[in-house]
Amino acid sequence: MNIENIDRRRFLQLGLLSSSGVLVGSLYAFSNREVKKEFKTYDDLRHYDWGYVVDTTRCIGCGSCVRACKIENNVPDTFFRTWVERYEINKNDVVRVDSPNGALESFQNNNFEKDVEKAFFVPKLCNHCINSACTQVCPVGASFHSPDGVVLIDKEHCVGCGYCVQACPYGCRYIDPVKGTADKCTLCYHRIQHGEAPACVNACPRNARIFGNLKDPKSKIRKILHQRRYGLLKPDLGTNPKCYYIGLDREVK
Amino acid sequence: MKDKSHIITIFSLVIIFVIIGFIVDWFLHPESFDKYGHYRWNAVNEILSQKVVNQNIKTCAKCHDNIYQLHQKDAHYNVPCVDCHGAGNLHVTFHQGGKDSAKITKAQAVIGKKYTLEGCLFCHRKLKSRPSDFPQINQEEHYKFLNVKSLSTKCIECHSPHEPIFLLTDVKESRLHPIVYKCTDCHDKKPVRDFNEVPDHPKIFECKDCHSDIVKSFDERPHHKYVECRTCHLFHKENETVGRMYKNGNAKFCLLCHEKKDFKSDKYPPKIEWPSHLGNLKFLVNVDQRICLDCHSNQIHKMNLKANSNPHPNNWKFEHKKYVNAKSDVKQVYACGFCHTKNDCYNCHQVEIPHSEDFIQGGHKDVVAKKGKQVCAKCHNQDFCAQCH
Repeated sequence: MNIENIDRRRFLQLGLLSSSGVLVGSLYAFSNREVKKEFKTYDDLRHYDWGYVVDTTRCIGCGSCVRACKIENNVPDTFFRTWVERYEINKNDVVRVDSPNGALESFQNNNFEKDVEKAFFVPKLCNHCINSACTQVCPVGASFHSPDGVVLIDKEHCVGCGYCVQACPYGCRYIDPVKGTADKCTLCYHRIQHGEAPACVNACPRNARIFGNLKDPKSKIRKILHQRRYGLLKPDLGTNPKCYYIGLDREVK
Repeated sequence: MKDKSHIITIFSLVIIFVIIGFIVDWFLHPESFDKYGHYRWNAVNEILSQKVVNQNIKTCAKCHDNIYQLHQKDAHYNVPCVDCHGAGNLHVTFHQGGKDSAKITKAQAVIGKKYTLEGCLFCHRKLKSRPSDFPQINQEEHYKFLNVKSLSTKCIECHSPHEPIFLLTDVKESRLHPIVYKCTDCHDKKPVRDFNEVPDHPKIFECKDCHSDIVKSFDERPHHKYVECRTCHLFHKENETVGRMYKNGNAKFCLLCHEKKDFKSDKYPPKIEWPSHLGNLKFLVNVDQRICLDCHSNQIHKMNLKANSNPHPNNWKFEHKKYVNAKSDVKQVYACGFCHTKNDCYNCHQVEIPHSEDFIQGGHKDVVAKKGKQVCAKCHNQDFCAQCH
């Protein structure tokens, strides 16, 4: 067909055909991209507000949670998203705190030979504060609160400046030596959205870690927070942690 | 109008910079940033796509139901599978089949078993910082107590990990026992006086405060040197006021100490061969339903049994009082026949035991005529016959 011989009708027909072809093709291309996987929408997530309770009176310091977290999230050696601290106080009010290798292989011997007045374990993890210091200092918006109240890190966007590691008053963040980005506890975000408990809660043999939805009035965590007396870590900093500790001692910081 | 033109220049420059700024922002702004806040919304979905590694106990129960049932009834019911067996994600995807299973070799799918000595001690090593109601051992003392020769002997040689203390009854059916005692736990009625007004009224309650008879007789028996009440009457604190009491009398539980094994020396405690011990008890029926306490309860508290005088020790009536003194409907259940076959009784007594219904009417005359009055005296008092004759 010679392009100079084309009349107006034929031109319009061709134009319509080619544009509809582009439209169908692009629709097909876009639909393929959308199919990738169906995830939760923003409104789905607004139904939740995840909270965490640590019952220090029940913890036996076995380190199952630490091991489970390492495997679940592929946490590099010498870094921990959750760890267990041991507090020992003797008769003269001398306090010794230790956490050998984050309690990855539990604890060996008592620190004091004798005269231990009081001793207990405190498991620690990210407190998922409501007014978190770490998200405020992020210069690129890579650290953020998810709609269901979990403090997360966008690892694709993070530049690894380390401000958040400095800002966290609980020492819950680290720079991943492999990727060079900040990393922290996500409350096993991939598990909780599929109805599973976080790996540490799943692994705890003593029910010392309780996890649940604070927005659901019937949830177990709400019941416990109503019945038991709990404390927060460093409440004076005004970070409003969402990790509640039952049986907290004044020595614990 | 010279002034006006340079104002226009400035304004147009500003507008150009703003437009350039928008264009640069358009290129640098990540997709879905600022959609719902100052972050990349797609990052949430990226984090969500991470794979679940640690498996839930319910996933394991789908295939290994028999072990799950066993595990749920015993003291380790709260310990999830992942603690000892590892995460198990490869194992599950391999056996579920589907696309992903082809990538996993059979060797990778084998589940790990971390039943090392150290693995058990992660939880059960004796530490001051562990809650006192949690079972914990000093390994050296524990092995010395049982006369285990080598310190590297594994815990699983005696304790089954799924069923560590062989509870007789299900954990969940065990009895609730109060920790803060009410007056009515010991007294029949609520006392008029407050306990502070009573001199020498105990404040910290021990077993003997309520169960004095049993504890007193327990102190006279050989066991009291080595074990406590809590060794068999396991106590598990549930909350501030209440705990769970499980009574443990399973034969396998007694065998934890008393079974003869290669790694134990022959010193105390007395040990028996198992299961050949059961083979010696041919006079018993329902042997597999028997527990050690059926015969040996007197070793623990109350009652004194002369050794090796089964089935009729000197105080057999006292020993069998549960069966002898029971009310009639219970007696039928616990009659001698529950443990002993009819032939067992007849072989010695030459009389049908328990006696048939017409025994008093006529049957006993023939027996006495044949065997003499001594037959009656074996069980009954000497003046028993004189009551009628």
